[in-house]
Amino acid sequence: MENSFSINNLNLFYGDKQALKNISMDISRYEVTAFIGPSGCGKSTLLRCLNRMNDLIPNVRIEGDIVFDQENINKDKIDVVQLRTRVGMVFQKPNPFPMSIYENVVYGLRCQNIKDKNVLNKVCENSLRKAALWDEVKDRLNDNAYGLSGGQQQRLCIARAIAMEPEVILMDEPTSALDPIATAKIEELIQELKKDYTIIIVTHSMHQAARISDKTAFFLMGEVIEMGETRNLFHVPKDKRTEDYITGRFG
Amino acid sequence: MRKFNIKDLILDGITYLFSSVSLILLVIIFIFIFQKGFSSLNLELFTSPYWSENYYASIPASNNTYLLKSTLDSNEYYSEKFGIALKDDFNARNEAIVVISYVHPDSPFNELTNSTSGANEGQIITAQEGMIVNKISYINSNGVTRSAGLVIKQMAEDTINTIEKSDQLDSVFLQTQGGGILGSLIATIMLILISLLISLPIGIMTAIYLNEYAKYNRFTPWIRSSIELLTGVPSIVFGLMGVLVLFPITSVFGASGTSILLGGLTLSIILLPVIIRTTEESLKVVPDSFREASHSLGANHSQTIFKIIIPAALPGILTATILSIGRIIGESAALIYTMGTYISDKPELLKGATSLAVQIWSIMNGDQPNFGLASAISIIILVMVLVMNIGVKVLTRSKVKKW
Repeated sequence: MENSFSINNLNLFYGDKQALKNISMDISRYEVTAFIGPSGCGKSTLLRCLNRMNDLIPNVRIEGDIVFDQENINKDKIDVVQLRTRVGMVFQKPNPFPMSIYENVVYGLRCQNIKDKNVLNKVCENSLRKAALWDEVKDRLNDNAYGLSGGQQQRLCIARAIAMEPEVILMDEPTSALDPIATAKIEELIQELKKDYTIIIVTHSMHQAARISDKTAFFLMGEVIEMGETRNLFHVPKDKRTEDYITGRFG
Repeated sequence: MRKFNIKDLILDGITYLFSSVSLILLVIIFIFIFQKGFSSLNLELFTSPYWSENYYASIPASNNTYLLKSTLDSNEYYSEKFGIALKDDFNARNEAIVVISYVHPDSPFNELTNSTSGANEGQIITAQEGMIVNKISYINSNGVTRSAGLVIKQMAEDTINTIEKSDQLDSVFLQTQGGGILGSLIATIMLILISLLISLPIGIMTAIYLNEYAKYNRFTPWIRSSIELLTGVPSIVFGLMGVLVLFPITSVFGASGTSILLGGLTLSIILLPVIIRTTEESLKVVPDSFREASHSLGANHSQTIFKIIIPAALPGILTATILSIGRIIGESAALIYTMGTYISDKPELLKGATSLAVQIWSIMNGDQPNFGLASAISIIILVMVLVMNIGVKVLTRSKVKKW
């Protein structure tokens, strides 16, 4: 299967502290890849490298290559804005903007100077449908997004990312702030979205990784210990440390 | 054990005592100001000019009688021949005066002709309730013009009795009471508009620069500490600086001395630190997750700031505005140099005028300080500032985090 990202010898430093060590991995297209590992192991940091969100943090130094669509996105001269429209992101806590549901969804398009009302309306409806939120909000698109429940807010954030028609959606622990029912809905949605998008999800829950992902990477202390088919990784881990982690001996 | 308890008790007592001192003082100040000023407080204060106007006007002839339809108070005296009622009163300086208390609708006093030489000569003036009557000239039975009224130490009763004996009145010397705050009110509003117009954009942009663009810049701490320093500079020093540094700017526009423009420019510099700090605080409260989300959707830095951060920080920016207005209303020291102390009834941008606070200073600075009016203005200022502070409270409460 075709690769979406190829990461090669990636090292990342926060000041003097090295947060990622010699990461190399390929991420396949139209699959769900899960990053698991204990807190502070670098899984979110790697995720944020894929759409250059680490640019927002001062004193970060990144070495190595991340190839996306035959281009090394780890170079200074790439168009970061264009990259981010192709690689969307959903965050840990639902973070809709304090504006209407409609405006939240079309925000990214507006930033691209798309003003045509018909286009915006169409994209808004399609994105909300894909995020399985349309039926719940179609009558109150102009209400403030903060009137929605936590799970709905998170699905709105997914719709907002989908509206940009990205190729990849990065999800940074998207269900950690949600209740089990909302979590189930999001997981169902991820299964649905995987037909059209490459999904990379960071999760704290091994069960979630086992349920929804095709491939899993296990991180420890800034290194990838093991990566492979989710079924294999959970049933026949090759590394002792992976086994210890998934059987709950630490973490 | 017991000793320890007594010590605690004493400490507690001292704490309660001292903390109540400030409250008691505040209440005493309020009571005194209200006592002094409340009687001077009325709606006319807001609509009437400070300086009284004098009218010397001739009275048309009449040979009617004007019967009174309603009854008058015991201290009012009515002339049926001329349809006017007078009463004794005291002005703000406690001097005895005679004022008009009623004018009959058909009275000749409704159609006086201004005979003061000048631009308004010949205009029709209407005698109004509350105007001071200093002199009424009448023509006696020998055809000689004589005077009645305050000029010959006649109070209301004697004045009415004197003119009742005459058949024709010649002229009247009227004076408006004055003592209003209309001019200062307008000047204060102009001052608020000018200073906000200048300081809000500069202050908000500076805060955005410090918090969003130059967050990790080497110079930011320096800029920040100089802003802190500015906060501590006494406003009279700013006033002096306004005269020395800013006056040349206003003179380009044609100001020849103190002016509202100069006052506004000076105040906008005083306001800058307040606006910058309050706005920065409100920008800091906007969660980073908004910035991240916006960037992740392909927005650039300025789109993120102007579409997301500023709208989210708007309550804080409004708070900064309201705090600034409160500061402008209360400021006096810096304005004495820059706007002058002459109370102007028709304030102009390039001429001197007083704000409400400086009007108090001017009133109290004369030979005969007018405590009543000064206290009345104080009440107005206090109420305004109080309303502003409540506004800030309401705004900050509505801002309670939804995110």
